[in-house]
Amino acid sequence: MDPEMKNSNFSEIITLRPLEVSDVDDLMVWASDERVARFCPWEPNTKREQGLDFIINRAIPHPWLRAICLNGKPIGSILVTKNSGNDACRGEIGYNLAWEHWGKGIATKAVKMAVKAVFEEWGTELERVEGLVDVENVGSQRVLEKAGFYREGLLRRYVVFKGRSRDMVLFSILCSDVENCSL
Amino acid sequence: MDPTSRITLRPFKLTDVDDFLKYAGDETATRHMRWNPITSREEALTHLETVAIPHPWRRSIGLLDDDEDRSIGYISIFPGSGDDRSRANVGYILAAEYWGQGIVTAALRIAVSTVFADLPEVVRLQALVEVEHRASQRVLEKAGFLREGLLRKYGYCKGEIRDLFIYSLLSTDQRRI
Repeated sequence: MDPEMKNSNFSEIITLRPLEVSDVDDLMVWASDERVARFCPWEPNTKREQGLDFIINRAIPHPWLRAICLNGKPIGSILVTKNSGNDACRGEIGYNLAWEHWGKGIATKAVKMAVKAVFEEWGTELERVEGLVDVENVGSQRVLEKAGFYREGLLRRYVVFKGRSRDMVLFSILCSDVENCSL
Repeated sequence: MDPTSRITLRPFKLTDVDDFLKYAGDETATRHMRWNPITSREEALTHLETVAIPHPWRRSIGLLDDDEDRSIGYISIFPGSGDDRSRANVGYILAAEYWGQGIVTAALRIAVSTVFADLPEVVRLQALVEVEHRASQRVLEKAGFLREGLLRKYGYCKGEIRDLFIYSLLSTDQRRI
């Protein structure tokens, strides 16, 4: 039995699927939450139109962005960005989860599912998925560690958002790190 | 003699084309660059016109005692844009005949002493170096850069996916010239 399901209701199923316009009210639950936005480059959404704008103009056209669903209902989102040229072997993962569902292993499960999916879907081009986590975001560092990522180092003052430069911890997982990797 | 006092940094000029081609067309000098050697004078002129001269911060390395002020290499510092504008990537190249004299280290120390004033939004310089390229790692370490980690299968260099070390220097780090 999947160890992550041991302590939770056996009927709780996590799935990933593309976001749709009809998901906007579910999206607003986490997109408007300061606790979710804290380590993200964006400010909490205050208007439904912002949620719609995100779904139509960012999420739907995105090369790989999925809603994290609990029993079919979106409770977060996860994406992997694609790079091109000399950086095409590398993708970057990012995710958000509604506050009430933190601490249950859901983000870890979603990350594992997303990593497996992109290594399968992007074929031999993708060798590495990386994640950059704010040095103060210990919860998210644990998510990536539990999902099998290796901590490669601390990148000092790597990025500026919300007016301050941030130290970021860099994590990575290689196709060869993942069980049953096809490469 | 301290190599720093032997060298000079300045912007590129179109008249640098023949000296530029000598190292930019050399397999040895360009071995660890991500681009292929430049093989024609025309290509070299185009590169100077479209890349080297309009560049946010690229400086030709020259020797002070050279009356002809020839380019023997360059230091290149390229800032990101948007959320990445506080971070700049460092690259450099030197004609092979001048290797082993501390010239790039000296040039990098001079660059580091002025670039934060020239590019005020930049707080972090970083460099990616192949694991095998020990000489380049020593240059960065002597110029005060800190190795932050090994990035596995990070990117392509000339068609092969490589493991790369990442180094950084912050505007707030102590530096010596």
